[in-house]
Amino acid sequence: MSRTPRIDAPPSPTPYTEHEHPVVGHSCRRLDGAEITTGAIRYGADLFPGQAELFAAVVRSDQAHARVVSIDTSAARAMDGVVGVYTHSDVGGTNRHGLIRRDHPALAEDRVRYLGDAVALVVATSERVVSQAIRAVKVEYEPLPVIGDIDAALAEGAYPLYPGGNVMGGKRIRKGDTDAALARADVVVTETFHTQTVDHAFLDLEAGVARYEPSGDPPDGGLTIQVSGQWVHEERRLIALALGVEPEHIRIIQPATGGAFGGREDISIQIYLGLAALKHPGKTVALRYDRAESMRARHKRHAIRVEYTVGAKSDGTLTAAKVTVWSDEGAYASTGLAVMRKASSHATGPYRVPNVSVDVYGVHTNNNPTGAMRGFGACQMAIACGGMIDRLAAKLGMDRLELRRKNLIRAGDDVATGQRIPVATVVECLEAAMARFRQKGEPTQPAEPHLRRGYGMSAICFGLGYGDGFPDCARARVAFGDDGKATVYTGGVDVGQGLINTMAQIAADELGLELSQVRVVSADTMLTPESGSSSATRQTYFSGNAVRMAAEEVKEQLLDVAGRHLSVHPHEIEIAEGCARVAADPDRRISLADLVAEGRRRGYSLDARTLFKPRTVCEDFDTGQSPKAFVTYLFGAHVAQVLVDIETGEVKVERHVACHDVGKAINPKAVEGQICGGVAQGIGMALMEEVVTREGRILNANFTDYILPTIHDVPKVECLILENDDPGGPFGARGIGEPPLIGAVPAVLGAIYDAIGVAPSTLPCNPERVWRMIRDAGGGI
Amino acid sequence: MAWHLECTINGSAVERDVPEDVTLLSFLRDHLGLTGTKGACLEGECGSCTVLLDDEPACSCLVLAAQVHGRRVTTVEGLAHGDRLATVQEKFVETGAAQCGYCTPGLLMAAKALLERNPDAGEQELRVALEGNICRCTGYASIVEAVQLAAREGNP
Repeated sequence: MSRTPRIDAPPSPTPYTEHEHPVVGHSCRRLDGAEITTGAIRYGADLFPGQAELFAAVVRSDQAHARVVSIDTSAARAMDGVVGVYTHSDVGGTNRHGLIRRDHPALAEDRVRYLGDAVALVVATSERVVSQAIRAVKVEYEPLPVIGDIDAALAEGAYPLYPGGNVMGGKRIRKGDTDAALARADVVVTETFHTQTVDHAFLDLEAGVARYEPSGDPPDGGLTIQVSGQWVHEERRLIALALGVEPEHIRIIQPATGGAFGGREDISIQIYLGLAALKHPGKTVALRYDRAESMRARHKRHAIRVEYTVGAKSDGTLTAAKVTVWSDEGAYASTGLAVMRKASSHATGPYRVPNVSVDVYGVHTNNNPTGAMRGFGACQMAIACGGMIDRLAAKLGMDRLELRRKNLIRAGDDVATGQRIPVATVVECLEAAMARFRQKGEPTQPAEPHLRRGYGMSAICFGLGYGDGFPDCARARVAFGDDGKATVYTGGVDVGQGLINTMAQIAADELGLELSQVRVVSADTMLTPESGSSSATRQTYFSGNAVRMAAEEVKEQLLDVAGRHLSVHPHEIEIAEGCARVAADPDRRISLADLVAEGRRRGYSLDARTLFKPRTVCEDFDTGQSPKAFVTYLFGAHVAQVLVDIETGEVKVERHVACHDVGKAINPKAVEGQICGGVAQGIGMALMEEVVTREGRILNANFTDYILPTIHDVPKVECLILENDDPGGPFGARGIGEPPLIGAVPAVLGAIYDAIGVAPSTLPCNPERVWRMIRDAGGGI
Repeated sequence: MAWHLECTINGSAVERDVPEDVTLLSFLRDHLGLTGTKGACLEGECGSCTVLLDDEPACSCLVLAAQVHGRRVTTVEGLAHGDRLATVQEKFVETGAAQCGYCTPGLLMAAKALLERNPDAGEQELRVALEGNICRCTGYASIVEAVQLAAREGNP
């Protein structure tokens, strides 16, 4: 609920002070709450009824790796209702997409590289016909050797998937002298971890519509595509390049979006819809995936292998970490290069390690491309790093908490990249989480002989934004309408996390408005300025700053107008309760609608656009060092308690405490929602989720066999929010999206270790794997 | 082959000819334009498509349209009272139980069925009633809270 601004508020709430804010910091009701709960809101597939005139569908490879010998479309073309069948030669542009390296053909040329690679596009007058017609397209393949996993890709004499071989790029960190430090260490622990391929499993399947009107540019002409992504402006660039159309000729509108988690960061159906629309001007074309196609076509979270060696003094002081990472990049690069870089910079997490050596290699296989997913490489490294701390504690006979306390960074310490962290609150997070956990006393062992209880903890950090010198910025526009209401224009997409509310609350607070006096227009390339992607936990910080700056500028104009109108200095004006008034004499006032009219008469635009672009510094090629790899860091700590059935291997998470320092919670309810949801996904990754493949074929491309956490699997997460202002964040805010998942997994794994005495190194810890771990350890735990 | 279907949807009589292989989910969305009901797994695992059939929750992706002949169907579009949200809808908004909102219609219908059947349901019974509904965003706590609050007000 939004509170009435206080009458006794100071004359001007700017610049930011520690004072309580009228709108920011309150769990304001979701602006789209009624639309969501009545079913009125429109997701991609909800645009079909009444609009769709033609339906498109993709012919996909049934081979994991093959040369395309020929594509015979004649039978499909001859079918009643089929209006077009298209292959790569019908694509006008580069026919390529890919967020960082554009290496993924929209439609296969001479080769398919994973089972699910797109080969042809069929357009027909009904979904029924188009689903039959894709089966009538005959593709002749010449099978090539299939590289099914990292080991196969690295094997001696392995078939090279690319001219340069199967290892794609790499990233390293060299800090201090790791080998010498390891040789001198009192204790050394080594472990190899295997994390699994994970599917984003957002519920809202890829779906959308497109229409092309040849004459003119949007909105009347051009190519309009309505599909959920995570970065409308980048999608427009990629579609334009692939299809050979000017970007200005394309308009992307984001429908309501049912979750993303990184899974919409790569192009999905946009290019297919665009191609179909270009070929059939004046017709609205619709396309949607079912669950199997969604899982077979889309990129995934990288499965990785981590070889981790850590050295320490006998008192537990960490001295060195040597880390080698092999990540399954799948068939195409996608964002793999960036994921590798983020993995390397987070290899030692929030721990103070003077000597660090990290090598990360991307390995091409014939699995699905892998790319962005919540945690972006840092998630897998937190599993390995946290696992090493638990193992080291066991080897030293030291308390796990004490070992962490001893080695976690404090303000002014640096992380693996050498970046010094001015506000490091990971210790505070861990202490708060442990204090909450211990409120209920130390867990006791159950009476049943087949049950074991244990708890584990994690402490994590996360570099916010793209970092690493990659251009990272957000733009925003705030403008007043004649009704005295403000409109925020942001290119950022709300994928369900509540970006619209966050931006509205920031603008309302800055302008002295009620939340209901602010509208948000988002994610439309024609109407909104570019704000970068909704990913990397960056929108609250980046777009939040941009919106705040734009609102500040508009407010200055309003204060000038009001000052002249009320014949006082602008500093004596406050905006509250729908009017501008003299703070010391509130009866001298002018309504916002009148103020806007007055401003227009006086020639004020009451419209401001801003750019927020903090710089980061690319990590050095040889050493991976950078004074500012990321604009800021986020910290968190989790404590999980599990109950393990040692006869069945089943693990139940009984309690989960999650503490995160978010700088400032713009909307505490939304922050809690991100924490609880991130923990649920973390529990899924720790215990059950796994895309199972054999020779490039996904064996569980459906929700019957891809196991997701249900309401029985997730306890009520005990959320603790710390607010240590970030000096550069809007109202001190940092962000929250990814860290809750990153923190959850190692805490659950640590709890299993504590319960059964065997440290997990392979994910997920599903019943079979846990049962085997117990059996292999002798069973007599 | 088409079936002649007569049923009641959200209180209104509906009479249509539908092909025999059309699911209730597709009938609601593609034939009637009632897009509030969502499809996500399309095989009865996630509950996104839950509607009420004569007050009992059912996955509309697993029911053929022809099977609802003579029955009452309630979808998320039938929950609100005009412009006023039903209590359970209101509580979903209030507690943050809807993030991306895609699972929300199905959860609302499952919750409504529970609240009609047993408004005094304890937390365990509540969790069982909602166990067929996957939510990928919230971690479920806010959903449990919303349904509990709606139960307390005694008016789904």
